[in-house]
Amino acid sequence: MADLASAKKTLDGLVKAYAAGDATKTASLLGTLKVAITAFPALPPLFEQTPTAVEELMLARDVLEHATLFAVSQQDDAAAERNFNQLRPYYSDCAGMIPPSPRQALLTGLNLLRLLVQNRIAEFHTELELIPNEAHDDRHVAFCLDLESSLMEGAYNKIFAASGSIPTPDYAHFMTMLNATVRDEIAACVERGYTRLGVKDAARLLDVDAGGMDALAAERGWARSTDGGAFVFREEAAPPSAKDIPSMRLINQTLLYAKELERIV
Amino acid sequence: MADVAEGGEASATKDDTAGDNAGDGANAVPPTPPTPAQRELPETEAYSHLLVLLLLLDANDPECKAASVAALNRLSQFNRRTLDALQARIVFYYSLAHERFGELAEVRPSLLALHRVAALRFDEMGQETILNLLMRNYLHYNMYDQAEKLRSKAQLPASRSNQQQCRYLYYLGRIRAIQLEYSDAKECLTQAHRKAPKLAKGFALELTKWITVVRLLLGEIPEKKDLTTAVSGGAAAQRALLPYLELTGAVRLGDLEKFRAVQEAHEAAFRADKTTNLVTRLRRNVIRTGLRRVSLAYSAISLDDVAQKLGLGEGDGDVEFVVAKAIRDGGIDATIDHDARTMHSSDATDVYSTGEPQAAFHARIAFCLDTHNEAVKAMRYPDKVKKGKGDGERKSAKDRDLEELAMHIMDEDEMDEF
Repeated sequence: MADLASAKKTLDGLVKAYAAGDATKTASLLGTLKVAITAFPALPPLFEQTPTAVEELMLARDVLEHATLFAVSQQDDAAAERNFNQLRPYYSDCAGMIPPSPRQALLTGLNLLRLLVQNRIAEFHTELELIPNEAHDDRHVAFCLDLESSLMEGAYNKIFAASGSIPTPDYAHFMTMLNATVRDEIAACVERGYTRLGVKDAARLLDVDAGGMDALAAERGWARSTDGGAFVFREEAAPPSAKDIPSMRLINQTLLYAKELERIV
Repeated sequence: MADVAEGGEASATKDDTAGDNAGDGANAVPPTPPTPAQRELPETEAYSHLLVLLLLLDANDPECKAASVAALNRLSQFNRRTLDALQARIVFYYSLAHERFGELAEVRPSLLALHRVAALRFDEMGQETILNLLMRNYLHYNMYDQAEKLRSKAQLPASRSNQQQCRYLYYLGRIRAIQLEYSDAKECLTQAHRKAPKLAKGFALELTKWITVVRLLLGEIPEKKDLTTAVSGGAAAQRALLPYLELTGAVRLGDLEKFRAVQEAHEAAFRADKTTNLVTRLRRNVIRTGLRRVSLAYSAISLDDVAQKLGLGEGDGDVEFVVAKAIRDGGIDATIDHDARTMHSSDATDVYSTGEPQAAFHARIAFCLDTHNEAVKAMRYPDKVKKGKGDGERKSAKDRDLEELAMHIMDEDEMDEF
């Protein structure tokens, strides 16, 4: 298989280019390699038993792993998702055919993190069920699990702290996005939970500097107190009026009862 | 009864493969000796295949896999609607045989193919059975995504047997629970629980476990008697439910320490039930319940005390966010004073001035109406008996009754194995 040898050489080039951070070269080599691996008969879904099947599978897996990592580093979320989905069968269906990849946990964690950041929690949990229990202790996967539970509980400080302790630099891009989400969450919580809050305290809670605080306050329309040193959130509750009665809903429900009762009688 | 493909070739091969088996099966059931024509029927042969399969499965013989494959290969040569019911049964045991010996993944492609064939032939029994088997297959390997995709795309046959419907609802409930759609999950699981035959104790036990976790996730607290005295299945079932009983206790108290202890003590049980991840998700509910208790009991309390009462970690200021988030999500009604680091509970409002009672009332009415509609749907009417002549008709009616009875007993047995 001449293709295999040349593809291997290209892969070496790709690894070097990726490590050196040469985006244009990496992109072009990835393109060549992805075309090259389409010619391999041993890859999913064909799984032909060629003599070089193991090498072909491992090569393709390496290519796709790099493609995913590269997409993340280029902040191209859609491409990252596509590449990871292509990579998935190599982790699940080929588990018995080739030795496990050293990068598997890293990429699985990356995928979890992406789903978390995009707020696709249902998919996050579906994905989580596929990960065997032993792998939950891996630092990459455990990192995402901790983040998810902190996010759900509201332990936002832990998330800010976690940005400082990411297991690999590959996670940095998603962590930045996650921090932005968290900041929004906190702002929403602050609006409801406090009657008034000092400007400095607010900046500390939100983990932003004074300038960022002003921008955020303007964006969310927070009112300042008369002396300007605090935000005031709680307005006087309006007296209940006839508009508060959910008449449409009540009418609908009553009509439903009437219809159902008629059916019974 | 269209015998489309019952050609000479099919009946020719039949005689040399399983002629002697057919004799056994036929002798066991009807009291009168079969006529030669009856002996020739492929149904007789399929039935004897089924009996052999059952015998091997009961003996836990690894040969049952080979036997089930042989039976399916043989049946694939026919295309007779009268065989559908028997084939569905055989496919079920085919999957069960492979599951017993841990080779469930290998039957997936052939099950998919069989489902396709069943759909093409409008074989409703086959479709519902195989769809359930496939869902079971996927869920066995935790492939919730694939199971959901298959389920949402596959067409459900119009008429379905109660047993298969129960299974379907159980699998659907599990998928929904994983996808965080707890209300849907609860609905499916409780319906399955209600519909399940009384004899299927294992199935009911499994459902009780899942219902408990899902209800806890919804913020409801199941009644203690549902997990102890009211459980059918005696002491063994109660022992199996013990982890869930303790879990409920921990969530009800809102005690994180206790919750953690229960989680660790019964980790193996939760893992075996595949509920580990769901139980992990309960942590936030524990916090929420604890906070609600605190906010009801104190009009003002310092945040550090809250942290201590809930068993949250010391220091890092997370309590404030946890409380703030609970306020935003509507879990508690309170405000935070940042400077004094205290939480002030708002005065309890008169619940009758809100829409709350009306909503509760509606939920109950909806439940009653739903139960009524389900009951109407589940009612069975006897088949319109064809007008025949005196003696023969009465006899055949009696036979049919017996057959139906045997069928029901078999169904219930089968659910019991679950």
